[in-house]
Amino acid sequence: MAFEAIIGLEIHIELKTKTKMFSSAPVRYGDEPNTDVVAYDFAFPGVMPTVNEGAVICALRLCNALHMDIDRELHFDRKNYFYSDLPKGYQITQRFRPIGRNGYLTITLDDGTEKKIELEELHLEEDTCKQLHSYDCTLIDYNRAGTPLIEIVSKPDLRSANEAMKYIEEIRSIVSYLDVSDGRMEEGSLRCDVDISIREVGSSEYGTKVEIKNLNSIANVEKVLNYEFARQVQCLETGEAILQETRRFDESLKQTVGMRSKEDSVDYKYYPEPNIIPIRLSDTFVDRAIASSNELASSKLKRYTEQGLNHYDASILIADKDTSIYFDQIVENGVSYKLAANWVIGDIQSVLNRDNISILEFPVSPKQIAEIIARIEKNEINNKQAREIFAKLYEDRSLSIEDLSKAFNQGMINDVSDLRGLVNEVLDENPQSVTDYLAGRDKALGYLMGQLMKKTQGKINPKDANEILLEELLRR
Amino acid sequence: MKPVNKDMLKDVAHSLMFDMSEEEYALLEEEFQTILKQMSLIHEIKGVENVEPMTFPFVVYSSYLRKDVPSDTLDKDEALGNAKDVVENQIRIPRVIK
Repeated sequence: MAFEAIIGLEIHIELKTKTKMFSSAPVRYGDEPNTDVVAYDFAFPGVMPTVNEGAVICALRLCNALHMDIDRELHFDRKNYFYSDLPKGYQITQRFRPIGRNGYLTITLDDGTEKKIELEELHLEEDTCKQLHSYDCTLIDYNRAGTPLIEIVSKPDLRSANEAMKYIEEIRSIVSYLDVSDGRMEEGSLRCDVDISIREVGSSEYGTKVEIKNLNSIANVEKVLNYEFARQVQCLETGEAILQETRRFDESLKQTVGMRSKEDSVDYKYYPEPNIIPIRLSDTFVDRAIASSNELASSKLKRYTEQGLNHYDASILIADKDTSIYFDQIVENGVSYKLAANWVIGDIQSVLNRDNISILEFPVSPKQIAEIIARIEKNEINNKQAREIFAKLYEDRSLSIEDLSKAFNQGMINDVSDLRGLVNEVLDENPQSVTDYLAGRDKALGYLMGQLMKKTQGKINPKDANEILLEELLRR
Repeated sequence: MKPVNKDMLKDVAHSLMFDMSEEEYALLEEEFQTILKQMSLIHEIKGVENVEPMTFPFVVYSSYLRKDVPSDTLDKDEALGNAKDVVENQIRIPRVIK
């Protein structure tokens, strides 16, 4: 009997706003515990929530990128529970009217085909505090409590661990390009819960679903889904019932273990948040938030290939947001996409790898790279010289490309008749090679070019020299 | 719904980690009975089957969104003043997970 997995994902994204969702406390990482807090975050008596405009803008941009219907009225609800991670005794979320509904995103499968994954909803809420559990106590730091979160809920459209990973990657790329979040699973700025059930291939019924919470890396998502799929298949094959429950992944055991069954699930007694009256978002506000969004990776990929880059090179450039921004800043200066891509993927990338630095730390500016490329395009310098200029600039970015190019140009043989004279000298000195070339041995041309380079100590433009060499050969 | 009596009120208070005097529980129970009586009166109102429940007494909207600009934060002493046990600026409580 063949089974297929039915997978749905809930992804939580911590937003990169300056302040919290409902208070003006700063959102910062690595600060001393319990210092990024105002009275609201501790639920001191009488405090009232205020909705962060920056977080709403992030949500609107993300809704737009995910092709969602946007609710232009903001409504919030209370999720009541009593636990030390949230002093108010409830979390403010959007249970009944999420800001976004009915969207989709597209993932590219391994065989190159595209698959549309439908999205149920997107809503705004607040994060809890950080609890550090030791053997006999729990230590609480409220700095994170109230950080804006967006939750994206997919429909159960995913059919394998591989598809789930691609889905997470796509969400990660979108939030990172939009600059709404760092989207780093390892650092907790992107967190993932999965729902998985199985059914016989061809069946349209859904099986009993199991929820697995708090997966902290893409690798773990794959491990968990593969493990859970196998576990559920085994249950069905041995006649054991699959329980509707919440499980967690135990890293040391490399398996999922039960946490609580459906019967134990908490009733959160959701109701509309009385302290925030509904907020109407004006069309101008919504339109402006969307119009000022950054370009997404998918749109850049299209633009790069339309400008003549092959799919492979374009994919490398968009794999990292900062690299694509650097690339865009080069081509903004009007130089060729192809040459710019060669520089970014080739010379620049190898320097980054060699010195183990990121593109953000790379000292040579995109404008300087554009200037080097422009000089190659104008035949003022050749590739070899460009690389030498690049190496010098990397050591000292204050150097002038103009001066560096001039130094190369000193003694350059630019005069066509001088060059022609030198070409003929080389041809006279190497009659055998001339005969060989004319007899159809193309290799001889390379040898003659080498001799010409030697004679002129490389101070010629190879393209011009090659043309003249061919002309003179054909005259013989 | 669970009946509102002294045991139930005590249970709720203890869950929220506080206690009251017997007189206070008695007063609270009395007040609850009044509230529940009023609720049952409201339930007797006829012809409201098609009326949507309301969250606010009037239909009002706001357009206010707070600018994303950080404010001053609480002083350390003020922030942790209510905590009984503080270790390296973190609030220490009995271990909350099993």
